[in-house]
Amino acid sequence: MSSVDQKATSANASPRPPSAGAQFVLLLKKELSIEFRTREMISSMGLYALLVLVVFGVAIGQTLWAYDIMPVAGGLLWVLVVFTSLLGLNRSFNREKELSAFEALLVAPLDRGAIFLAKAAANALFLVVIQLIAVPLFAVFFFANTAIAPTAPLVAVPLLVGSVGIAGVGTLLATMTMHTRGRDVMLALLFIPIVFPLLYSCVSAASMTLLGADDLMPFVQATVLALGYDAVMIILGWVLYDVVCGS
Amino acid sequence: MNSLSKTDKTALAALLVGAVLTTAAFLFTFLVTPLVNGAAVEGTFINGVFVENKLLLSQKIFYFHVPVAITSFCALTVAAVYGIRYLMTRNERHDLRSRVGMEVTLVFIIMTMLSGDLWTRFEWGVWWVWEPRLTTYFILMLLVIAYFILRTSIDAPDRKATVAAVFGIIALIDAPICFLVTRLVPTSIHPVVFRTDSGLPLLMLLPFLLALFGMVLIGFAVFRMRLRQASLAERLEALKLQIEEEL
Repeated sequence: MSSVDQKATSANASPRPPSAGAQFVLLLKKELSIEFRTREMISSMGLYALLVLVVFGVAIGQTLWAYDIMPVAGGLLWVLVVFTSLLGLNRSFNREKELSAFEALLVAPLDRGAIFLAKAAANALFLVVIQLIAVPLFAVFFFANTAIAPTAPLVAVPLLVGSVGIAGVGTLLATMTMHTRGRDVMLALLFIPIVFPLLYSCVSAASMTLLGADDLMPFVQATVLALGYDAVMIILGWVLYDVVCGS
Repeated sequence: MNSLSKTDKTALAALLVGAVLTTAAFLFTFLVTPLVNGAAVEGTFINGVFVENKLLLSQKIFYFHVPVAITSFCALTVAAVYGIRYLMTRNERHDLRSRVGMEVTLVFIIMTMLSGDLWTRFEWGVWWVWEPRLTTYFILMLLVIAYFILRTSIDAPDRKATVAAVFGIIALIDAPICFLVTRLVPTSIHPVVFRTDSGLPLLMLLPFLLALFGMVLIGFAVFRMRLRQASLAERLEALKLQIEEEL
């Protein structure tokens, strides 16, 4: 459609399509209101997180009195985050597959980048909500016998940065695997190696806060690297989403 | 299609020159280049083993290992570039080139892993260390394997090619980030040992460059030959279909 045509249609008082920003807000609201009605994501992810904690309890709880858990606590926390987010990402696209909801979105004259960002933002939000429940539980379950470092609350920073990156790259990969055979396993297979750099830096940052580092520079360095990863992957997703969705 | 009926002389020539160059390099390094003093570190514990300074025959792996590793990165770049070209042109031939590029990448990554691991076992006394270079290559190997599993899990040819191309691009961007992150993120788990930071003396540089050029040529030749074989196989399938239709 040429620009002249576009001007003509807008002059004909037909409603102009909302801007990409407005589309993003609209789509995010849609995601959140679906979640608010069904509570499907939060309940399934929350229960799954609880179950992972139970497995941790069985795996390490028996000898917990004998050693200091802090050196591995950051890593364990991220095991919890990675597996819970994998479940969430799969579920969020289950919903899109049912009744071809995603196809309907693609048929609508929407900016594909906006669809990606809204979906990723919603997934990040769900992940943060789950962490608000699961991380304190983790501390209650496993930190009873150890002294908690004064820097420990800072662990929220890598968790937040990590959630954004996981949601960004996870949404992109989940869309790619939506129509593959053995979708759940396929997503894990792509997601874990791709998210590795983020995981590596976030575990490092989380461990430092939990262990109580005197010098915060390495913590900042790891967090900045994780932020860089977030930026690269979100831009990549935003650019490639149109291609991934297909015509 | 006429080019397919002839032998690929460029590939043959590249293979021959590559074989001569790498053989010459290996002979040179064993016969001419003196043994090097290993361990620029002044006594470091790696995985509980004290690394000391000694004459290192194992360093000879370097002339095989590093060129192979560099070639694998070249092949990955080729695969991703053809992926981008596929996305731009939607020409199936680019998809085939991208896939063959990935196959070559996998072969060279496996060679890198094997030679690197032999060295790790000999030098550091362990089969595995979560050290930046090893970790990066391990992740890279998983990514390339995931690429092939992703391909087999999608039936529609154009969808398969698109998703594979996108994943190839993500993998190419992810690999350097892995490399960067595993080096830059501060970790207290293992010391990072740099052995070949400093400029190489001529007697080491010469065989290294010979082996590098030789290996890249071999990689190129393998790519061309495999591409020709794959194209022929596709053509054969097309001809079979044609005959069936005519019968």
